[in-house]
Amino acid sequence: MAVAEQAQPASRAVRARQRRVREEELLVWPDLVFVEFISAVLFLGLLAILSVLVDAILLDQANPAVTPNPSKAPWYFLNLQELLLHMHPALAGVIVPTVALIALGAIPYFDTSNDYQGEWLTSPRAWPNLVVGAVVGTVGTTLLIFYDASFHVRFYEWIVNPGEDRFLPGLSEDGQPIDNPDFNAWPESLNWLKSLRSLQTEVNWPTELEAIPLGSKVLRTDLLGLPAIDLDVNFPAMVVEQIIPVGAMVGLPLLLSAAAWKVGLAQTRRDHMILQFSGFIAVYVILTIIGTFFRGEGLELVPYTIFAHH
Amino acid sequence: MATTEQPQGRSLGDRLYDGAFKNRLWKSIFRSGYPNTPRNQMLAVATNVFLHLHPTRIHRTHVKITHTFCLGGLSFFLFLGLTITGVLLMFYYVPSVERAYGDILALDTDVRFGKLMRNLHRWMAHGMVLTVLMHMMRVFYTGAYKPPREFNWVVGVVLLVLTLLLSFTGYLLPWDQLALWAITVGTNMVGSAPLLGEPNRFVLVGGFQVGQAALIRFYTLHVIGLPLLAAIFMTVHFWRIRRDGGLARPL
Ligand code: HEM
Repeated sequence: MAVAEQAQPASRAVRARQRRVREEELLVWPDLVFVEFISAVLFLGLLAILSVLVDAILLDQANPAVTPNPSKAPWYFLNLQELLLHMHPALAGVIVPTVALIALGAIPYFDTSNDYQGEWLTSPRAWPNLVVGAVVGTVGTTLLIFYDASFHVRFYEWIVNPGEDRFLPGLSEDGQPIDNPDFNAWPESLNWLKSLRSLQTEVNWPTELEAIPLGSKVLRTDLLGLPAIDLDVNFPAMVVEQIIPVGAMVGLPLLLSAAAWKVGLAQTRRDHMILQFSGFIAVYVILTIIGTFFRGEGLELVPYTIFAHH
Repeated sequence: MATTEQPQGRSLGDRLYDGAFKNRLWKSIFRSGYPNTPRNQMLAVATNVFLHLHPTRIHRTHVKITHTFCLGGLSFFLFLGLTITGVLLMFYYVPSVERAYGDILALDTDVRFGKLMRNLHRWMAHGMVLTVLMHMMRVFYTGAYKPPREFNWVVGVVLLVLTLLLSFTGYLLPWDQLALWAITVGTNMVGSAPLLGEPNRFVLVGGFQVGQAALIRFYTLHVIGLPLLAAIFMTVHFWRIRRDGGLARPL
C-alpha cells in the first residue's frame, strides 16, 4: 500500500495506459475456454468422420526377403530421402538435418531485437521477404532437381529436333533403344553437364585423383578403440557428392541474403530471418512433395502415389 | 427492477441452481461456485489444475482465431487424443514379429471399434506432425520467438523432434511391408553418418537388420519413452509461456 501511495508520480498517461490494457483483457473463462472447447469438439468430429471414411493403410505382412520398389521412408522424412539422391548419404541423412535443426533453434539468438513481436508480419518489408524467399526456394530447388534428372538435356533435344520424332531416340515398346541417325543429341563435348554425377563420370579425371591415399593418420579411429581406417579419397566423387552440394546448400542462401541486402530488400536481421526461414520452408515442402508424389520405381522422377502398392 | 413486484419466495430456477452448485459435493470438488460471475470465473481457472495451465485473464488479440489458429492447442489436443487411442490399441497389440501383423489385422476386422481406433490414431499422428510444423510457422511469422521467449522456441524445436520420432517409431509397429521398409530406409540414413553412424544404427535397430529386436525397441520408445519425454517438454513449454507473460504482443 505504501508503494501505491508513493507511486503518485506515475503520469496520467501511464495510468490511462494501464487502465486501457486492463480493459483490453478478457476472462479466460469463458472467452478462451469456450474457443478451446469448440475447436476440440470440431476437430474430434472431423477426425472421426475422416476415420470412418478413410482407412489407415495396411500392406502385406513384413517380409525382409522382398524389397518393394520404391522403398520409401515416412512422408515427413522423404525430403531427406530426396536429398539422398543428390549427395553423399552422410550429408543427406545426418549432417544436413542436424545442422538444420541447430540453425532453427538458433534463430532467436541471432535475431535478438524486440520489435514487431506478437503480430503477423507487421515489420516493414516482411511480406516481400517472405514472397521472395518462398519463390526462390521453390524455383531454385525445382531447377536443381530437374538438372540432376537431366531435364535440360531432354528439353534441348526436344527443341533442336522438330517434327514427329523429336522424342527419339526413345525406347521402343520392348524397351530397346531406337537407332535414329538423324537425331540431334545433346553435344558430346558437354556430356559432363548432363547431371551432377556426369561431372564425375564424363570427365577424364587423372587416375591418381580417384584414389588419393591419406593413410590411417587422418581419421584416428584407433584412438576410439575402433579399427584403423586407411583413407583413400576419390576426389571426383568428393566434388560431386560433397563439395558441390555443401557449396550449394550454404552458398545459395548466403547469395540470396547478400543480393537482398544489396537491393535493400533485407535490411534488418528480422528481414534476413524471414527471407531465409521462408526459403527453408519452401525447400522443405518442395522436397517433401517431390519425394512423396514424384519418385516412382527406382526413385525415378515420375508421378507416383503410395496407393500404387495396392 | 424497482418497478417489478417483490418476488414470492425463491424461484424454481434459483432452487435448482443452489441445489446443484451450492452443496457440499460440488464445493468439495470445485471449491468455487458455478463460474457465472467474474470472480467465480477467475477462481474456476485458478483453482483447477487443468485449467490452471491458463492465466485467468488474457489479452483480447490472443483470443482471435487468426492470431494462433489454435495450432499449439491443436497439437496438444492431438497428443492427448493419441494417448487415449494409443492406450486402447495397446490392449490388443503384442510387439512380436509373429503376432504384430495379425493383431493389427484383427483390430481392423474383429475388434469392435478397433478399426475406428486405429484409423483415428493414424490420422491424428499425421495431423500432429502437420499442426506442429504449422504452429512453428505461426510462431515464427508473428515474431513470438523474440526475447524473452528465445528458450521456449528451443523447447519447441525439441518438441518438433520428439513429435517426428514418435511418429517414426509408431510407423514400424503394424509390421507390414510399408512399415518394415520405411524403417529400413530411415535407419539406414542414420547408419550413413561418418564413424558413429553404423554403431548408432546397430543400437537403434538392435542388430544388422530390422527384426524382432528393432520392433521391441521401437515399441518401448513409442509407448513410454518418447511420450514421457514429450510430456515433460510440453510441461516446460506451457510453464514457460506463463512465466514469459503469456503470448507475445507488441511492446
Ligand atoms: C508438440 C509440440 C507443441 C505443442 C503441443 C505446443 C503447444 C503450444 C501452445 C498451446 C502454445 C500457446 C499458443 C498457441 O497455441 O499458439 C504455444 C506457444 C508457443 N510455442 Fe509451441 N507447441 C509445440 C511445438 C512448438 C514448436 C515446434 C515451436 C518452435 C520451434 C514452438 C514454439 C512456441 C513459442 C515460442 C510459443 C509462444 C508463442 C507466443 O508467445 O505467441 N512450439 N505452444
